[in-house]
Amino acid sequence: MRQITSVEKRQYLYSILTVLLFLILIGRFFYLQIYKRTQYLKASEKNRIREVVIEPTRGLFIDRNGEVLVDNHPSYSVYAIPFEIKKADSVLNLAGKILNMKVTEIENVIKRERIGLFTPVKLKRQIDFETLTQIEEYKLDLPGIIYQIEPRRYYPSGVRAPHVFGYLGEINKSELDQSDFLGFRLGDIVGKKGLEKYYENELRGTRGYNYIEVDALGREIRGLKDRPEILPLPGKNFHLTLDAELQRSLEARMDTLRGGVVVVDCTNGAVIALVSKPDYDPEIFTKSISPEIWKSLVDDTTKPLYDRMVQSLYPPGSTYKIILAAAAIELGIIKPDWQAFCPGYTWLGRRKYDCWKPEGHGELDLMGAIEQSCNVYFYKLGLKVDLDNWANFSRYFLFGKSTNIDLIDEKSGFVPDRNYLDQQYGKDRWSKGLILNLSIGQGDLLVTPLQMVRLAMIIANEGLYYPLHLINYMEDPIDETKIFASIDSTRVSGISQKTFKILKQGMFRVCHGEHGTGRAASYRDITVAGKTGTAENPHGEDHAWFIGYAPADAPKIAFCILVENGGSGGKVAAPIAKLIIKNYFYQSRVKRDKI
Amino acid sequence: MIKFSDIKVSGVDYALILVVFILIFIGLIAIYSASFQVESPALKANFSRQILWFFISIIFMLVAIVIPTSAYQVSAYWLYGFAIILLVLTLVLNRGSSIARWITIGPFRFQPAEFAKIGAIIALARYLSYEQRKLTKLKDNAVAFGMVFLPFLLIVKQPDLGTAFIFLAIILPVLFWAGLSTFFLFAITAPAIVMIASFNYYTFFLAMILIAAALLFFRRGLVISLLIMVTNIGVGIVTPILWNHLHDYQKHRILTFLGVEMDPHGLSYQVIQSKVAIGSGGFLGKGLLKGTQTQLRFLPEQHTDFVFSVIGEEFGFIGSLVIIIMFLFLLLRGISIASKVRNRFSGLMVIGAVTTIGFHVIVNIGMTVGMMPVTGLPLPFLSYGGSFLITCMILIGIIINASIRWFRY
Repeated sequence: MRQITSVEKRQYLYSILTVLLFLILIGRFFYLQIYKRTQYLKASEKNRIREVVIEPTRGLFIDRNGEVLVDNHPSYSVYAIPFEIKKADSVLNLAGKILNMKVTEIENVIKRERIGLFTPVKLKRQIDFETLTQIEEYKLDLPGIIYQIEPRRYYPSGVRAPHVFGYLGEINKSELDQSDFLGFRLGDIVGKKGLEKYYENELRGTRGYNYIEVDALGREIRGLKDRPEILPLPGKNFHLTLDAELQRSLEARMDTLRGGVVVVDCTNGAVIALVSKPDYDPEIFTKSISPEIWKSLVDDTTKPLYDRMVQSLYPPGSTYKIILAAAAIELGIIKPDWQAFCPGYTWLGRRKYDCWKPEGHGELDLMGAIEQSCNVYFYKLGLKVDLDNWANFSRYFLFGKSTNIDLIDEKSGFVPDRNYLDQQYGKDRWSKGLILNLSIGQGDLLVTPLQMVRLAMIIANEGLYYPLHLINYMEDPIDETKIFASIDSTRVSGISQKTFKILKQGMFRVCHGEHGTGRAASYRDITVAGKTGTAENPHGEDHAWFIGYAPADAPKIAFCILVENGGSGGKVAAPIAKLIIKNYFYQSRVKRDKI
Repeated sequence: MIKFSDIKVSGVDYALILVVFILIFIGLIAIYSASFQVESPALKANFSRQILWFFISIIFMLVAIVIPTSAYQVSAYWLYGFAIILLVLTLVLNRGSSIARWITIGPFRFQPAEFAKIGAIIALARYLSYEQRKLTKLKDNAVAFGMVFLPFLLIVKQPDLGTAFIFLAIILPVLFWAGLSTFFLFAITAPAIVMIASFNYYTFFLAMILIAAALLFFRRGLVISLLIMVTNIGVGIVTPILWNHLHDYQKHRILTFLGVEMDPHGLSYQVIQSKVAIGSGGFLGKGLLKGTQTQLRFLPEQHTDFVFSVIGEEFGFIGSLVIIIMFLFLLLRGISIASKVRNRFSGLMVIGAVTTIGFHVIVNIGMTVGMMPVTGLPLPFLSYGGSFLITCMILIGIIINASIRWFRY
């Protein structure tokens, strides 16, 4: 056997070491190219394929006669591709100048919202035409800056109703966490208020996608044959119950006032007009709203962002006397011919309670008391009926319960009862004077105008009511399938037909009686039944109320009018009812029913 | 006494040259593919320029073969001195600029560090080839270390860390070849390995077991063995503590110095894209000009430092394996020649050349698969670049030079 020399020993040692190192390398290649292949293949596909979201067209809002109220216009949004942007400061500087953004601002947006080096990040929404021209002009100096068409809302009909439609805005962090917004990114546009928010999922439609091969610089190389474009599905068009004509004229009539009007079809609960004033121009939210405008809206003491018909609570005043009357008749506490004398005031203990008419109404029965809205009569009646019955009947008429109209943030009001007063003032420590106040719709009782129009509908239908709703049906713009809102009628409990007939008679006399407080509401041959209210409130002048329905004998519409700090319901609110009736029955394109 | 049967290497080693030419040819294909979709005419010209460099480098290789071995030996220190002067000159001429790697003469630009590699190898071979050098003597070892440490420092100054480390990499194998005891090599390399391993309990534990096993193998007496063991455990415990006491910027400086830069959007981006390219190539590859990472330019530096990723993507595991095996063949062949050469000087030169090429190959390919830090070392024969190709061809020339004169001095 040959002796292994020291040279050979070194040769073997060095060779073995080299082979070992190379075996490790080969093992690594085996691991990457064979064991992990699928994963890396996916990664390389993700590199080269850019998924471009194609935004669907948002659904439209259309009035009951087919007039388009809310439409879409194209607008342009500017995006940046992070990878390209970070290569050159000159691009950032120029883009900042054109878009009127600070360079740090652009960098922050990119840092915050980028999901990949090559996925565009939205820098600015709805640039004006001049900006668009500039971007197009400096295109070669702006690699990585692109723009895309994005639908933008516009309002062609002249109907404002900003509280009904709501507005769109950029999705916020908490919305991003909701399951409804899976796959959304900051900068995406969603409904923020009103119907836009309530029906967001149906209005939005389904996104489409386009797949493009891009290179490392984010440049588009070609479309991909193996990944065809997925077309977006447009959102559903919403056919509303609103009547544009009536809405416009009421918005114009209410323009200088604070308050609102709601008109419903009392045969199905469809809202025909819904006005809340003061309001804001819905157009301002179609652009990226500036912080100054937003601040001025929020700080405005007249609260234009607030939907007074849905979100505000008021004392109902004399309109609420109907509830007391209903309780008294239904429970047999009095007959309609029960009489009381009004000298213009009454005493309870050592406190004097005034009627609104200082010289008094004299001897009145129930009909007369409703017609003239006599406080003294109802003070006395309130003491006879007592708090528990009054609170029960308030609930029969659904006060304290929201109407569940398809708008957000609806308030449900408040009906005080014995429990509440005991808690507030100590058990039985409260004065009976509180009952007197509640009898004429004052005190801690709070209602929304929507609840009041529901009351008018319940009386008009003698106990039957429908859910208030703004949507007639939604229609798929592609296959034209329509989905109608379900409107099942419900009957209120605890009140008989007979009682309703008496209430209706009283409310008819409000508008047509010799001394009726609501005589200003009737127009030509259309009979009206209603109830005025003049609600005292801690914020100055009385709120003027008028609720009612027409025609009185075969009710078609019910309405509620509220003018904040307007003064007398009969003088200020009732004339607006006349406008409704005139417009609806004589000028509206709605086919007039045979009367 | 020379026996005929010992003459195994006679004439030119054609297999070696063939492998080198195949490697260069594959490199040209990869460079062609890497420059295929590029709009820039300067980059498009890479392919044809590399062909030109190929022919020029062949001339250098031939010259390196033809020169008598004695000429290398005679001029060794002159070459080394000249290389050091050039390195100093590089720093002086490029004063003020942040990167000082090149000297420009007329239309030519060349990297003195490349020349220094060859100079250091030859000088080191000459110094260690004297039989009277006692590698047990501290002075002789210190001189040898000093010979590579001087160019190392000058190139660190440029700064070009990857290239600088080549000089540290060649010294150990060359000393080993010159007869330095394996035990001594072990004793000086162990603490360095422990330092790196000490940041993880498992690797630290593993390193300790390996060191203990090596000490058992060497049987150098209880006292020395215990001393080495204790020293290494001490190093392993102290290193992480010292490290944690450093400021972030100091850590950053050290990591940068070691070539491990913490830059998620720069270097690691390159490595990620390289791994994606190689991994997505799979077994057979995506095919020539069909690699999306390469053609859409997600792969960085694809004609130079990351040229192997192009091959990994377009020719797959098979292609990678073939090239790795060709490199392995080349290195083993070199080691074999070094061991058969009867002339000590030639053998040391060949080992220096083999180590230089091997270090480049392992660091570069290791980098493309994320096993080595991104240091900017090119891949011999495949990466684009004239100076480096010429260096590599001269190294091959030196190996062949030894192989055809194995018996002579």
